[in-house]
Amino acid sequence: MNAAANAGEILAVSNLTRIFGGLTAVRDVTMTVQAGEVVGLIGPNGAGKTTLFNMLGGSLPPSSGSIRFAGTDCTGAPSHVMGQRGVSRTFQITSLFPSLTALDNVRSAAYRTTRAGWGAAILRSPAYRREEAELRRKALEILAFCDLDHRADTLADAMSYGEQRRLEIAIALAAEPRLLLLDEPAAGMNPEEGQRLVEMIRRIRARGVTVLLVEHHMRVVASVCDRLVVLDHGVKIAEGPPAKVLNDPEVIRVYLGREPVDA
Amino acid sequence: MNTNSHGQSLGQPLAIAGGVAALAVLPFLAGNAYLEHLLVLWMLYALLALSLNIVIGYLGELTFGHAAFVGVGAYTSAILSTQLGLPPLLGLPLAGLVAAGFGLVIGYAALRVVGPQFAILTLGFGAILFTITNHWVDLTRGPMGITDIPPMAIGPLAFDSARPTYYLVLALVLATAYLCHALVSSRTGRAFLAVRENAPLAASLGINVFHTKLMGFVAATAIAGIGGAIYAHYIRVITPDIMGVHNVAALIIVVIIGGRGTILGPILGALVYIGLLESLRVAGPLRMVIFAALLTGTVVFLPGGLISLWQRWRNAHKSENNLPATPTGLPSTEGGAK
Repeated sequence: MNAAANAGEILAVSNLTRIFGGLTAVRDVTMTVQAGEVVGLIGPNGAGKTTLFNMLGGSLPPSSGSIRFAGTDCTGAPSHVMGQRGVSRTFQITSLFPSLTALDNVRSAAYRTTRAGWGAAILRSPAYRREEAELRRKALEILAFCDLDHRADTLADAMSYGEQRRLEIAIALAAEPRLLLLDEPAAGMNPEEGQRLVEMIRRIRARGVTVLLVEHHMRVVASVCDRLVVLDHGVKIAEGPPAKVLNDPEVIRVYLGREPVDA
Repeated sequence: MNTNSHGQSLGQPLAIAGGVAALAVLPFLAGNAYLEHLLVLWMLYALLALSLNIVIGYLGELTFGHAAFVGVGAYTSAILSTQLGLPPLLGLPLAGLVAAGFGLVIGYAALRVVGPQFAILTLGFGAILFTITNHWVDLTRGPMGITDIPPMAIGPLAFDSARPTYYLVLALVLATAYLCHALVSSRTGRAFLAVRENAPLAASLGINVFHTKLMGFVAATAIAGIGGAIYAHYIRVITPDIMGVHNVAALIIVVIIGGRGTILGPILGALVYIGLLESLRVAGPLRMVIFAALLTGTVVFLPGGLISLWQRWRNAHKSENNLPATPTGLPSTEGGAK
């Protein structure tokens, strides 16, 4: 990892484009994310937000343009390489390890931060025992962080929707990411759950994790983001602090309609 | 499918010790050579099913090629001992290595795809290995098979009858069970489960899905090869039928009926399979129909296999006593149904 990237920008996207057949889902998007920031990516349905996310997470190669993460060129790097470099993500549709317990979901997700493999487990080496104890402690800490410590032994698919969404964040955090991509974390949440999510994102930032989130709940976006990037038809149409962006006439026209912004 | 099971923190070592002791005295209770022979077959199938379970249970991929790797191991050791005069004891690890080599090449090609396509590819590779074995008469003697294979021996100790062979295979089954237990309590095994449960999510967490699957596949084929070699030196005769479709089906039935993704499941499934196979001998070819019905019934009504009955019973028992259904403080991937 590039030490210089610790301060300053962690993610730099230049002229990123993705074409599906004749459709340009993302066109020439250039944006940066500074370390420690919480940046919101907003735009109407079909604006290309998830496509952009998929390219950042490595699950979709860009058609052109480049992605730099922590000072390293990551254009076209596959998903597991982005994961190893410290980019974790959640998915728009609930995505976890359904038939494992919450604790094992988090322990499986800590792959990147653990070293002792099968051989060490066979030999029960001291390093393995130490790491297992440490992993268990850390997994329980992350579950507690996501308010799921009382559910550690519950199977993921037996959890409520709200718990599953929090478990997804716990999974992403277990990889100790430097950049966390959250794809519509507040989808389907009621206002109270949304408020809890806002607090959780603030605490995630306090852990030193940079956050980039796609979100439709304006209340969530406006209260947690330092900066917003607005996409429409794959093109970046605005960027800046929420108060400014959400009052931008162009943004209001394409996205928010005529209703006043309640932020 | 619920593939995890919680062990009792205090009862578990005792239960394992008791189980191993029971398995150790079984041949003395059997009383006759026929039952001892069935015990050997049980352990052999348990060993092969444990290896197949790594692919089906932990990686979540169905393979129809497993019997082919059993055959590769059996033929490797049989050919080395009959034609080159190599001691069978040396043939055992070599059988594992050669089967793993085949597993590496075939897995490298077939694991590019997943799900049904992978299953079909393994069926194809299995058929190719079967056909080659059947027709390369110079090396394998084709459909005539290889006869007069010498028995396994460690120094003066010859495994030329059922009882000593039983202990040899039992030791290998216990070793493999321990390997599987260590696997699922390690970073590697948790990556296996993550890949099974949700490959895109696993990849986003830094897990190389292809390499993980390849590693599991090769480990499974290595154990299958060793099991095949033991079979060859025990039965003393092998034909290409060992790679045949009925053997593929048998191993899959054992894993699914017993309980995939657990350690006790395949061992239990092998017992049920061998037991029914012998007790239904009067039914002749109808046996396979009965097994097919059992397999279907298990998949529909008991996706976790027979072992999940025990888990259900225990959970119900616990709630009766107002205890938590799942004990807290016990890592669930550890212990896998012990």
